[in-house]
Amino acid sequence: MFNSLRMSMGWVHTWMGLVLGFVLMICFFFGALSVFDREIDRWAIPDTRFEPQPMPSFDKVLKPIYQQLRPDPVDLAATERRVIGSLPDPETLKLESLFAYTTHRDPVLLIGGEFAIPNQPIDPADDHQHVHGRATVNPATGELLNDDALKIGSDWFYPMHFSLNFNWMMVGYWIVGLAALVMLAGLVSGVIIHRKIFREFFTFRPWKNLFRSSLDLHNMTGVVALPFHFFFAFTALVIFASNIYLPVTHTTLKPLHEHHEKLEAARTGLPHEPAGVAAPLASVDAMVAEAKRRWSERDMAGEVGFLSMNHLGDENGYVSIYRAGSDRVALVGEGIHFKASTGEVIREEPPRSVVSSIDEFLTGLHLQHFEHWMLRWFYVFGGLLGAICIATGFVLFVEKRKAGHAKTGSQGSRIVDALAVTTVTGMVLAAVGMLVANRLLPADLLGKGHWEQTAFWSVWGLAFLHAVWRSSPVAKARHNPAWREQSLVLGLMSLCAVGLNWLTTGDHLIKTVFTDTYWAVAGVDLSLIVTALIAFFAAAKLRAPVSEQKTDNALSRNKQVNAYD
Amino acid sequence: MTETIWLIAAVMAALLSMSWLALAYESHWQQVFPDTGTLPNSSRLKLTGWVFLLLSAVFCLNADHPSMAVLVWVMLLAVAAFSVAMMLSHRPAILKVICPQLFAVRA
Repeated sequence: MFNSLRMSMGWVHTWMGLVLGFVLMICFFFGALSVFDREIDRWAIPDTRFEPQPMPSFDKVLKPIYQQLRPDPVDLAATERRVIGSLPDPETLKLESLFAYTTHRDPVLLIGGEFAIPNQPIDPADDHQHVHGRATVNPATGELLNDDALKIGSDWFYPMHFSLNFNWMMVGYWIVGLAALVMLAGLVSGVIIHRKIFREFFTFRPWKNLFRSSLDLHNMTGVVALPFHFFFAFTALVIFASNIYLPVTHTTLKPLHEHHEKLEAARTGLPHEPAGVAAPLASVDAMVAEAKRRWSERDMAGEVGFLSMNHLGDENGYVSIYRAGSDRVALVGEGIHFKASTGEVIREEPPRSVVSSIDEFLTGLHLQHFEHWMLRWFYVFGGLLGAICIATGFVLFVEKRKAGHAKTGSQGSRIVDALAVTTVTGMVLAAVGMLVANRLLPADLLGKGHWEQTAFWSVWGLAFLHAVWRSSPVAKARHNPAWREQSLVLGLMSLCAVGLNWLTTGDHLIKTVFTDTYWAVAGVDLSLIVTALIAFFAAAKLRAPVSEQKTDNALSRNKQVNAYD
Repeated sequence: MTETIWLIAAVMAALLSMSWLALAYESHWQQVFPDTGTLPNSSRLKLTGWVFLLLSAVFCLNADHPSMAVLVWVMLLAVAAFSVAMMLSHRPAILKVICPQLFAVRA
């Protein structure tokens, strides 16, 4: 089919990159936003604009809060469909386990638990016999926060980059997984296509024609961040491999699951079943103090990141305390488990094995719980470089073919260009549009989060319709004016979001940067202003007429073109 | 505070390193010194560039835990390479400040 390896790799790179490039744009852009998801949450939920704090006292602050925790109505309804008979009054369900989770960037604390149910399952193999409850707490006051307020950063932008927020049958996860696999293939094929990889490190000639300068930018953004692109695509697959992409524990090994849990319990000494004998709860704060003392002894002084309790109120109850991995490339770890009724240590987890350490590093480098602001910004930069690489790939595809398509009357370039506008400017418009909607909708609006999601999809849908509507010049080998028009709207909307934040909360940049510094909100506002400046700059550049003749002539001279066939 | 100083040193070393590695290519050298009638001493530029690249890694290791330092360093290389590429395409004259006389040979 092809005369050389480079040509066949060129085919793979072009067509697989085109088909899944639209998904990869979403992954890179929303992945970059996810680096600062908690900060976007603070911007979107003004009631939570206070300083991050470590895990509060369990005995004084958290214990009474868990008494206010109730089963989640959505999970309650889903559970009701899986069991025989009606569930009891939710107010009477008893909490059997609980957790609390925080990071160094969280002013609020996520708590949750499992409520036991007496009903038998319809499917005897169904061992999921509880209903979940979840709440967000202000640890400073001990108040439960309104969970109706959507955490736009951590509950919308963040899951968008790994699930597309398309949870039906986990389809979104599978599409993203396929895109990550294609990304790896795209990187390998890209390296094979480009022989002068080191020269391309520093080559960008914006004064050349659109095809040539886009190719420069595509190559450069691909190679300078090659390790970043590779590791993020690879670790994305590693993170979901065991429970979604290769779920052997939920399928082939499922019959052994219960047996494994019992063996694990016997090995670790952590009871698998409750004893059925009521027992009080000893001081959890004392257990936390002991855990911190043991971490210090191992030269790993730190804060609690995750705290959980199992078999609540039972003689076999135990408390697990995990260290936050803020100073390492790690999540939570170094778990120490205590007997809940006496506070004595049952088990201190040993240092990780080599395999486990590698796994922790790979997942930790992607999920970035670490406290390192420079590295976080570098990650944003890497994500945006990935987005530029893919966006310029779209431009190359269209620029290479549109003259030919104009002659034959094909609509191929036009369709790809309209989709490219939708996934480049349209996607950023959707994200900024959601922030604008967040500030315009009243805080106490019932189902505010759903309205914000509607705004997000509506803006994106409108951007798509606009891109298609304005795409006819591409079929005549000219440029789609939608690029410039959407850039202008993006610039205006970004400034609008900053202005609305000021008007609705009083938090303007002079206050958040200088007089009452709060970097989470200032950072989002400043990023919006930078977005606006870049969008206006792009719109101004796109106003300049481009000589189609020059582009075509340059194309015919270009020796690298064949590599992209 | 010490950590910040090490990180600043790492950023400076990475920028210098990438600048010298870029100037080792004649095309980039000509972008920066178009009228001087000199050519780059490529091997000397490359050697200095690689030494500074290693230095930036050492500075990163001084600033952070090794597992974190390796990530900072890899990402720093991307940032530095991109910055140098942008300087070359928009303001190449900035790169004239990095001791060209040490690395130039007569054309």
